[in-house]
Amino acid sequence: MTDFDYSPAGVEVREDLRDAHRRLWEHVRSPGTWWTGTQRVAIAAEARAAVNCSLCGERQQALSADAVRGEHDSAASLPETTVEAIHRIRTDPARLSRRWFDGVIAGGLAETAYVELVGVVTLVTGLDYFARSLGLRPFPLPEPLPGEPSRHRPESAKPGTAWVPMIAPEDAVGAEADLYPDSPFIPNIMRALSLVPEEARALRNSSDAHYVRVPEIGDPSVRRSLDRMQMELVAARVSALNECFY
Amino acid sequence: MNGSADSDAGVEHGGRLMAFTDAVMGDDPETLERAREALRAVLPPESFVDAAATIAAFNVVDRIADATGIPLDPMLEGMSAEVRRELELARFASSANTPGAS
Repeated sequence: MTDFDYSPAGVEVREDLRDAHRRLWEHVRSPGTWWTGTQRVAIAAEARAAVNCSLCGERQQALSADAVRGEHDSAASLPETTVEAIHRIRTDPARLSRRWFDGVIAGGLAETAYVELVGVVTLVTGLDYFARSLGLRPFPLPEPLPGEPSRHRPESAKPGTAWVPMIAPEDAVGAEADLYPDSPFIPNIMRALSLVPEEARALRNSSDAHYVRVPEIGDPSVRRSLDRMQMELVAARVSALNECFY
Repeated sequence: MNGSADSDAGVEHGGRLMAFTDAVMGDDPETLERAREALRAVLPPESFVDAAATIAAFNVVDRIADATGIPLDPMLEGMSAEVRRELELARFASSANTPGAS
């Protein structure tokens, strides 16, 4: 597994976070459910390239992202629709819409592959923000592992209130029995990637280490070194700046 | 959140935490360096790492929510209805994913 070097930041990173980062990089470079390891690392590279993409920059300044046409500054040889999805999720998530999503799917990206892509892009984005916060350069992307995608589509994932099918907690049985924690409340965010269970598991692993465990979200007494009010202040500020209603 | 980064918002070191968060989310390296130094001057190292981890976590959560179109959970919606109205969060485009939310 990749060992991360946080030493230039001059702070000790707790072991559960270090472990989460190692597991995340292993997850990114491994063959996924619908993408190979090589494609997943390419998606991660594209997510980073989006930050300096001229088209994305112009769109962010425009009243409507759709009003600005052009080609993305692309880092890898991924299909155009895939690149569009990666760049928009990384640089302009607040203005994603059902119409945009439908266009991406009509453009040839399957719902399953899209959900896996969302997992890779967002988890890499999170780690990039962690490094930036500490004053570190983005961690080098891992080398992809060989192998074929599993192509496992859970039968219990059903269309519902989100744009993508999800697995309801009561339907998480069999191979997906471990998907959600034993908690009376499973927020939609933990279900959002369940069409690709491995991505939902990766999100949970990451969230448990970076924030608090799902069963503890509703308990204001649960804290880390920062107290819960401080954590929630930072969380609310991030979400406000991202213009995220959720 | 409409609050100013100049105030603590009733939270210990809240002003510096917000200023640091703003700087991480912004694009000015010098502002970020200053905000980081200011925060580290008042927080123990492990708390500073927790702030970085929280920023990372919500950059993941926000993007997943917006990219999958999930609605706000009814329980959370009920708990935060007043704050949402006060901060006028319904102005965000992603509120369309939660029909009837205000």
